[in-house]
Amino acid sequence: MKRQAKAIAMISGGLDSTLALALVRRQGVEVKAVNFYTGFCITETQRRKGGRPDGTIPRNEALRAAADLEVDIEYVDISGRGYFDMLVNPRWGYGANANPCVDCRVFMMRRAKEIMEAEGADFVFTGEVLGQRPKSQRRDTLRIVERESGLDGRLLRPLSAKLLAPTIPEQEGLVDRSLLEDISGRSRHRQMELAAQLGIADYPQPAGGCCYLTDENFARKFFDVLDAREARGEARRLEREDVLLLSTGRHFRLSPRAKLIVGRTEVENALLEHHVEGRARVEARDVLGPVALVEGVPTWEERVLAARIVARYGKGKDAPRVAVEWREGDLVEVYEVEPEHDEAKLEALRV
Amino acid sequence: MPLEDMPLPARTIDTSGQLCPFPIVETARAVKGLDAGAVLLVIATDPGIATDMPMWCKATRNEHLGTFRDGTAWKSFVRKQTR
Repeated sequence: MKRQAKAIAMISGGLDSTLALALVRRQGVEVKAVNFYTGFCITETQRRKGGRPDGTIPRNEALRAAADLEVDIEYVDISGRGYFDMLVNPRWGYGANANPCVDCRVFMMRRAKEIMEAEGADFVFTGEVLGQRPKSQRRDTLRIVERESGLDGRLLRPLSAKLLAPTIPEQEGLVDRSLLEDISGRSRHRQMELAAQLGIADYPQPAGGCCYLTDENFARKFFDVLDAREARGEARRLEREDVLLLSTGRHFRLSPRAKLIVGRTEVENALLEHHVEGRARVEARDVLGPVALVEGVPTWEERVLAARIVARYGKGKDAPRVAVEWREGDLVEVYEVEPEHDEAKLEALRV
Repeated sequence: MPLEDMPLPARTIDTSGQLCPFPIVETARAVKGLDAGAVLLVIATDPGIATDMPMWCKATRNEHLGTFRDGTAWKSFVRKQTR
């Protein structure tokens, strides 16, 4: 009798990974699902900011998928030095924005391999589809990810399995290849049909991913941090706090030495309050306005400019002068400034 | 079952200030250390806990006894699976 196989599923909770999970589960394979926390998930950030504009809280789709299919799930936090260094120096380069998808997949699969070995599992599987993504899901890059992660022969892509070389679990009969799929390309029609066949009705609408690194505006801020460090003669590197701040507020590059971040909502103001240490906290004194942070070592002129921008985004924006409080630790200064109204100048500074 | 009828927890963890997915990460860690049948109380300020906890319990075959709003926080009771 065939022994029961055990597998590690990498799931995001999107349609593809939910289908992959269902395809493997229905073959009687014991599955443990893993969801990696990178710090760049758009849905997680939405939740950190109190949910959608209509007040609803986005679901955690990985949890939803695991719950629907009754599969044990573990969150693994991979955000940290090693992951950030990979993002800054990707061996296989970036996609259209700050997304080094091939390197990121290799990084994740290496962790998945460790989990596979620790759990005594036979293979790892994902919801990847051949040809669905222009960089990370081509035949050659799927192979790179498999080889470089050390998962040679033990990385199954159930949705495209029949279009790829048989993996070890297929060769050993732990998984029946004939029950896997031959889906390729960007269309999701086949997946939707398969979802209906498998009785999967509850899944998020395919939206092309949930990673900030693929977002053009985010990418600009990401590279700005690296470029400014380099311009100051420092190493191009990313810190955990950078990641949290990159998705919060309006960012203005005052110079390579100084950056201003202005909260856009009450929730963002509250988030910025958690990052005051080591930065200047700037806020209009007598009128309502945003909380802002200044990073780095601004010149006098840059301080005044930052104060003028902060005044511009508060209730005193039409006043001739606004008192803006500049607080660094115990040191408090107040600048009486005219709110900045030169939109072209603001746009030029905006990251 | 209302909050006042919840069983006495064997352990309480306070994840206040932590956001998705860390309350669940902490829950998973705490449940591992409990005896089967014991109850864990998770205090959280992440509003997502109200939907996350029932789903996590279903996925991991633990029993979700209830999640209750308590001022600005949520209290979630989980019984570790008995098998």
